Amino acid sequence: MSEPAHTGTGEVISLGNGCYRIDDGERRRVAFAVAAQDTWVFLDGRVYVVPPATGIVARRSVADDRGALTSPMPATVLAIHVAAGQRVTRDEVLMVLEAMKMELPVRAPRDGRIASVACRPGELVQAGVTLLEIED
Amino acid sequence: MNDNTPFNRILVANRGEIAVRVIRACREMGIESVAVYSDADAGALHATLADHAVRIGPPPATDSYLSIDAILDAARRTGVQAIHPGYGFLAENARFASACQEAGLVFIGPPPEAIEGMGSKIAARRLAQQAGVPIVAGETPADQSDQAVADAARRVGFPLLVKPSAGGGGIGMKTARDESTLAVAIAQARREALAAFGDGTLYIERLIQQPRHVEFQVLADHHGHVVHLFERECSIQRRHQKVIEESPSTALTPALRRRMGEAAVAVMRTAQYRNAGTVEFLLEGTGESARFYFLEVNTRLQVEHPVTEQVTGIDLVRAQIMIASGATLPWSQDAITQRGHAIEARIYAEDPLRHDLPQAGPLLLYREPSMPGIRIDAGVVEGSEVTVHYDPLLAKLVASGETRDAARRRALAALRGYPILGIRTNVPLLIDLLEHPRFIGGAIDTGFLDTEGDGIRARLSTDPPPEVAAIAAACRATVAPAALTGRGPATEGADPWTSLKGVRV
Repeated sequence: MSEPAHTGTGEVISLGNGCYRIDDGERRRVAFAVAAQDTWVFLDGRVYVVPPATGIVARRSVADDRGALTSPMPATVLAIHVAAGQRVTRDEVLMVLEAMKMELPVRAPRDGRIASVACRPGELVQAGVTLLEIED
Repeated sequence: MNDNTPFNRILVANRGEIAVRVIRACREMGIESVAVYSDADAGALHATLADHAVRIGPPPATDSYLSIDAILDAARRTGVQAIHPGYGFLAENARFASACQEAGLVFIGPPPEAIEGMGSKIAARRLAQQAGVPIVAGETPADQSDQAVADAARRVGFPLLVKPSAGGGGIGMKTARDESTLAVAIAQARREALAAFGDGTLYIERLIQQPRHVEFQVLADHHGHVVHLFERECSIQRRHQKVIEESPSTALTPALRRRMGEAAVAVMRTAQYRNAGTVEFLLEGTGESARFYFLEVNTRLQVEHPVTEQVTGIDLVRAQIMIASGATLPWSQDAITQRGHAIEARIYAEDPLRHDLPQAGPLLLYREPSMPGIRIDAGVVEGSEVTVHYDPLLAKLVASGETRDAARRRALAALRGYPILGIRTNVPLLIDLLEHPRFIGGAIDTGFLDTEGDGIRARLSTDPPPEVAAIAAACRATVAPAALTGRGPATEGADPWTSLKGVRV
């Protein structure tokens, strides 16, 4: 058996009854529910409520409202699909992150123009780090 | 006991998991059930499951589940012969038990006199003494001068509690560990008693240090038969609310168990008790040197009754209905045995990280685990709306096994596969409790959560593991935007691992 953490491919198995098992080195039980705002995640008996801000939506600075998109977690930048100056539309995939062997598309929170790109493909980014900025 | 009761229809004057439990017992026995519900519970599980359901009033309990008139009116309109009160609400209300009798209905529980007698702590203590059962040493001095109260304290012995005679709920209760703290304790208790109850009368009681709460289940029929069904240990509690209960208790030797069981039966015999009831004891120490003291009698079916059902194999709700119908208990004391071990974990809609604040909201996802040795008594289903009007108990998970550790491991495995989403619950706290070295070792007392609670909460408050955000994002991406505006469960057909193309796992 290859070690999932090294191969980069884990296994997800439906256990039925709305529960899943993720094999990422450990066997973990997962269930989820999506509410209007938050996402509820059950992981091995613990429950986490994930507000939209820590997902893939921009975390805006109240002071300047720059529209900075930040990384929701420590992750590797897998691909960047846009460049500075490019116009984007809401929900367009701007870049792809990878964390815990899962790919996460980063989408535009609104229509706008890419003001700057603050990361490179292959770069390891910490949670909260600005990835790129959108302006109107 | 056979199931030929004279009842063909029973009203269940309760809600939540206990109403569901009683309705199911009725179904098994071929008796029609009538549920009652407030406006807050229209469509609730208990109202849906019963053969008939009657609206009894608006959400406040005083206007619905506590309204004797509304419940008796529902009973008259549906033509029931008996009423099961469950626990809480009107279960220990002597006036309700009398009103049932006057209306020609059988109250499935003890007679009103027994409820009345046990409701008074002083009368109950006197009864226990009559039965030759030890009580915690204490006295209310006739001379209430500070000097006379101090003399009484010296007779009772240190450490001790100075309590307002009129009080309850721990208000004005002061501890005196020795002579040097006695005068201050008396003065403080007196002031607080006067302020809270307008009555400065003080009661002195010996302080039992690190006591365990051990209670005995008793059944008594109308033909003079009284038996006990062994003990339940309920020491894991906070603010007098039990959290985990088990049977057998790790603190009892066979000889002590026999003596306590006999004491419980003696109390209930002296009280001329009928139906199911529980005798509570405080236990000081463990093993052969342990001492037990009568605390009180609960004149109802207890929340934790499934623990007893799992180790004795006796269905307590069915026994209650049979006893109420006049049947004779079919078991001698020797025929009742305690087999294996059972542990109950109470699942509350409350946030352990926010002062156990009750939670309200929809159960977006609720999936009960199904595995050997696991029983779940629940009052909710997926999609149920949990309201702030009533007790936050959602369900009870009861694990059974040949040994305590087998039952404990089953409980843990089941809780780890019991997702409840949409509102916060105490499940993470229960998991931590069941893994606690002191719980594993059986070294528990009623102060357990007071001394260990902070450590448990600190472990629960750790940051989410990093993959949680990724999982949340992946899950969210599978749900159609339209589903996000509704309040209902949005998991329909949403399998993040097959429908989410952008995710590689």
